[in-house]
Amino acid sequence: MGGRGFRPEQFTESLRGVCVDRAGLVYAAGDSEVKVFDAQGRLVRRWKTEKPGYCVALSDHKTVHVGQAGQVQQHDEDGKLLATLRDGERLGLVTSVGLSGEHVLLADATHRCIRRYDKDGKLLNDIGVDNNTRGFLIPNGHLDFALDGKGVIHAANPGKYRIERYTPAGELLGHFGRFGARNVEDFPGCCNPTNVALTAQGLVVVTEKAPARAKTYDAGGKLLAFIGPEAFDQNCKNMDVAVDSRGRLYIVDTARLQIDVFALDESAPASGPTAATKRIP
Amino acid sequence: MARRVTRRQLLAHAGRGAGLLGAGGAVAYLARKAGAADVWQIDPTKCIDIRLGATGVPVCESCATTCVLPLSAVRAVNDYAKCGRCCICPAYYDVTSEVGPDGLPTLKLCPRDAIRRTPIGKVDPSDPLNNFYEYVIDELLCNGCGRCVMNCKEPAGLGSIRLEVRHNLCLNCNRCTISEACPEIAYIRKPARRTGGSGAPT
Repeated sequence: MGGRGFRPEQFTESLRGVCVDRAGLVYAAGDSEVKVFDAQGRLVRRWKTEKPGYCVALSDHKTVHVGQAGQVQQHDEDGKLLATLRDGERLGLVTSVGLSGEHVLLADATHRCIRRYDKDGKLLNDIGVDNNTRGFLIPNGHLDFALDGKGVIHAANPGKYRIERYTPAGELLGHFGRFGARNVEDFPGCCNPTNVALTAQGLVVVTEKAPARAKTYDAGGKLLAFIGPEAFDQNCKNMDVAVDSRGRLYIVDTARLQIDVFALDESAPASGPTAATKRIP
Repeated sequence: MARRVTRRQLLAHAGRGAGLLGAGGAVAYLARKAGAADVWQIDPTKCIDIRLGATGVPVCESCATTCVLPLSAVRAVNDYAKCGRCCICPAYYDVTSEVGPDGLPTLKLCPRDAIRRTPIGKVDPSDPLNNFYEYVIDELLCNGCGRCVMNCKEPAGLGSIRLEVRHNLCLNCNRCTISEACPEIAYIRKPARRTGGSGAPT
């Protein structure tokens, strides 16, 4: 769905963020718009945002949060602007939004940390800064995280080649992943994985750049499934990923400006990292 | 009443005019020679090692192999404002090489070992991934092969390393052998005065 072009359902310059609601509607943040697609890829509605969106997230109340430079705009599901969260110069480029109960978590790529706010917009704490590098290592300029059902934060730390788990208070619970270009379960290049999402079963889905590809791990870091670089334009980077209630993966091809949908291939071997995924037309 | 001009006077006037014209041309020529000469430059939108979109292609080493100088006048330059100071820099390490016990690649990318890697800031010696690193290119060793440039290019890296013509080394040959060998017509002559930014001659 989407694609590069000038038709209403297409994107002209950028496509960066994706999320899926329980009904299967796909929300995409690109250019300076949010576009909503149905499961067949048809455009349902669209609306403008003040600045180009870098990520999009939905609350339980169907409030759409669009992360932008220095702010997050909140819209209702029809696109009406409800509020804009700002925090002066403290909040930089917001590249991921997570909603946990009454709290809003924002990935601040400028300051390389995840900022946690209460419902009134008061900063509670920063996550990922308690280390020698004073923040996440994101040479790619993009910080992404996902929240599980218990509120644990699963963050991509690409410069350290890890998926890290944090409590909301900022305590590092653990991590998996290591550098390597020869084994598919490792993370190659200067900085991978770049993006992360969680399935309802707690599986960890990541995307990488150079080569652009996607992988699914169990919570312990064992590789389960793999989408190879042939599925994406190799100039992609920071490919956002979302998972719907059926376990389908929605991955942003940032070069072709389209969202590709994948599902686990039931016919693939069930064991080992050769278990594959297939593209949904 | 018209003044009569003798042949001698006419010749004298013509001689003075010709002298002035010649002097003006010489001044213009010298001014152009002194401050506005054409110089060889690399067009970053054409060079296959630099230009975006050229991924998964072999590195072009023409600048290193075809310059008439013993060590090419083209060198790699790291733009520190863009450098990510990564632990495992794909321009420094051969990231496809085997991983050592320290978790780092065992081979370097540069065939002349021209890049120096130094941890900076407060250094954590126990975990290499917990530090920032500075990458300095030794211009006396670099021959402009472009391998680091190709591997630092987006999306693999940040594109902080580029190739530049060192004008204090370049002989400014009329027929440049690099230009003749360049497969992308990226090595071109441009007026120095109109060349700004990263490619400005020194």
